[in-house]
Amino acid sequence: MTEAPAAEPGPQEGPGPQEGAGTSPGPDLPAGPPAGSASAWATPRRRTHRLTPWVSSVRTIAVLIGVLLVFGGGNLRALAGEIGGLLGLLLLLAGVATLLLISVAMNYLAWTRTEFFFDASGDFRLDSGILQRNERRLTLSRLQSADINRPLLGRVVGLSQLRIEVAGGGDSRVVLSYLSDADAQALRAEIIARAAGMAPDVGEAPEAVLATVPTNDLIVSLLLRSETIILFGVTILVVLTVTMSEGPSGLLLILVTGGLPLLTVFGQFGRYFGFTVADSPDGLRLRHGLITVQSQTVPPGRVQAIEISEPLLWRRRGWVRVSLNVAGLQSEQDNSQEHVLLPVAPHDVARQIISRVMPGVDPGALEFVPAPPRARRRAWFQFRNLGVAHDDLVLATSRGFLTRRVAVIPHARTQSVEVTRGPWQRRLGLASVQVDSTPGPVTVVALYRSASDARALAEEQLVRAARARAAGPSERWMTGRGTAAPDAPDAPEADAQAAMTDARPVGPGDPTFGLGTSPSGSSEPTGGGAAGGPPAPSGPGTPTGSL
Amino acid sequence: MIYAADMLEPLSVDDAFAPPGEPWHPVSPRLATARRITMMLVMLAVLAGLVVLVIVPESRPVALILVAVWLVLLVYLWWLIGRRVRSFGYAERADDLLVTSGIMFRRLVIVPYGRMQLVDITAGPLDRRLGVATVQLHTAAATTNATIPGLPPAEAASLRDRLAARGEQRSAGL
Repeated sequence: MTEAPAAEPGPQEGPGPQEGAGTSPGPDLPAGPPAGSASAWATPRRRTHRLTPWVSSVRTIAVLIGVLLVFGGGNLRALAGEIGGLLGLLLLLAGVATLLLISVAMNYLAWTRTEFFFDASGDFRLDSGILQRNERRLTLSRLQSADINRPLLGRVVGLSQLRIEVAGGGDSRVVLSYLSDADAQALRAEIIARAAGMAPDVGEAPEAVLATVPTNDLIVSLLLRSETIILFGVTILVVLTVTMSEGPSGLLLILVTGGLPLLTVFGQFGRYFGFTVADSPDGLRLRHGLITVQSQTVPPGRVQAIEISEPLLWRRRGWVRVSLNVAGLQSEQDNSQEHVLLPVAPHDVARQIISRVMPGVDPGALEFVPAPPRARRRAWFQFRNLGVAHDDLVLATSRGFLTRRVAVIPHARTQSVEVTRGPWQRRLGLASVQVDSTPGPVTVVALYRSASDARALAEEQLVRAARARAAGPSERWMTGRGTAAPDAPDAPEADAQAAMTDARPVGPGDPTFGLGTSPSGSSEPTGGGAAGGPPAPSGPGTPTGSL
Repeated sequence: MIYAADMLEPLSVDDAFAPPGEPWHPVSPRLATARRITMMLVMLAVLAGLVVLVIVPESRPVALILVAVWLVLLVYLWWLIGRRVRSFGYAERADDLLVTSGIMFRRLVIVPYGRMQLVDITAGPLDRRLGVATVQLHTAAATTNATIPGLPPAEAASLRDRLAARGEQRSAGL
């Protein structure tokens, strides 16, 4: 949406080498903004915050000191002793100082050589590298998310990292560190505005906090999780057994085994501390973390499936945890992306948040059909939780023994359907049906249905899925409640521009703003695959970007 | 896209793994040959180890029992491979592809053409010599496991082309 006119004559005001990869848009591009405004899309080159090299150095130094302490402590002292008292100490200090200097110098060089800007076609560019230069170009029409992280060190001096992700394979992500908090916010807003085809200075989308998780609830909920209880129980058992057989010294084991449940609880606590869900036009914004504050935007259109889990000991309090499968995160090996929508919340809050990511879906209103009684012989424990339900929008399955898990997948998000049957199920005339979703924590599986039901369920689900897909592009299914003209994303650039300016204070769910819903989100050439190369037909053989 | 109204009627299929209308399209028996050759290679390596044990006098009694077990295992695997290969089947419907496999653990995967992201054909050196290839369908879900092994290369290629063409017609993003 944000491409400059293809053949803008004359040099643009935008600095930087114009011969950069893909800067010459092909003739397949739609008409850009009015002629002459192209230079408005470009910005001068900027650097990250000037404290960056120092903050980075502190990190390097911390690592260095850690390594020295762990591995080198004894050796160095021995070495110092050999060379002789004061001289040795001086040498050691000199060595450390040299390393420090090198580290700072390298970081400083790296900082001076790192520049980012928006090029003439409105894409985000990042040039970096001391000797080996690396020029990256993020096609903002394929933007997936732009999120701000605040690591501990950054928080101390008021610096943030900005993580920008575009649709594509593994290395489609840029982490910009560090920017001042305000700069990071502004840049994030600008990137999102540009991706949506709006004026770069439209400002940050307004957001409204929908829910926060009270610290008390978080602690209690973590303690009451089935995993914690089981770990705790095992710990007591082990310690008791050992104490019985070995005498009181067995109590020492508590120091070791007791640590495990505590560690998991602390880890989760640090991760989900201050969990806040806010509504913003580009999706739900999740923010959490005790030491490192993470934020993540979940565009409604990218939610593929959700799971509501209810540990046994939460039920009395009416709490649930909500996790999700988000498209496009499968290549994420690190934990920077979150699959938790709500770590703990009362039923009605969860329901409200779920209705934001899946409008019209209310898992509480579904009527589950239980598994046939003979399934009890296959699944003694989870039998009473087994069930499957569907309505016009979604299919839901429930299972689990200690933790009841309800998985919900919109029909339109069904990827494929699988019927399976093991030897024991065969004897009982049972079969299970799995509805495949994109990778993530949520598995949608209707366990132990009667064999004929299972096949019928699978076939019906396929028909429902086909109908849902035919009813409209799945990209827009989620945000059908928007008030703005739903055809805006397909409208020609000029119209879209007009619509954008009208809709400045965009309402939530407005499809013209949503990242996951703008045509740019879909990989179809109509959206302007400006990344270079011919527009590829979507379909088999073409990995779809519109995840 | 129009979907036949009669498709919306709930199906009453007695067997959860019944073929849709026409019988399952089987895979080439040459797949069994390929798998048996691979199996034999492993088994022969094991046998070589056993022979060494037989030669050493101390371990001979145990080794002879093991050789007997080896023989039984060989016959069993030989038979099992034949059965497993016969259990593979696929069927093309108007809107989706069905793939079934397994005896003890039976599975049936149904992939709508509109959901296919890419279709792979792979064939190792042994497969190529014997004239079999594996067709694999990928969707956005990593859990989709729709693999048809043991197709003659020509059939594999034509299946891929048909799938690709239908996929393009019905492509539905995500």
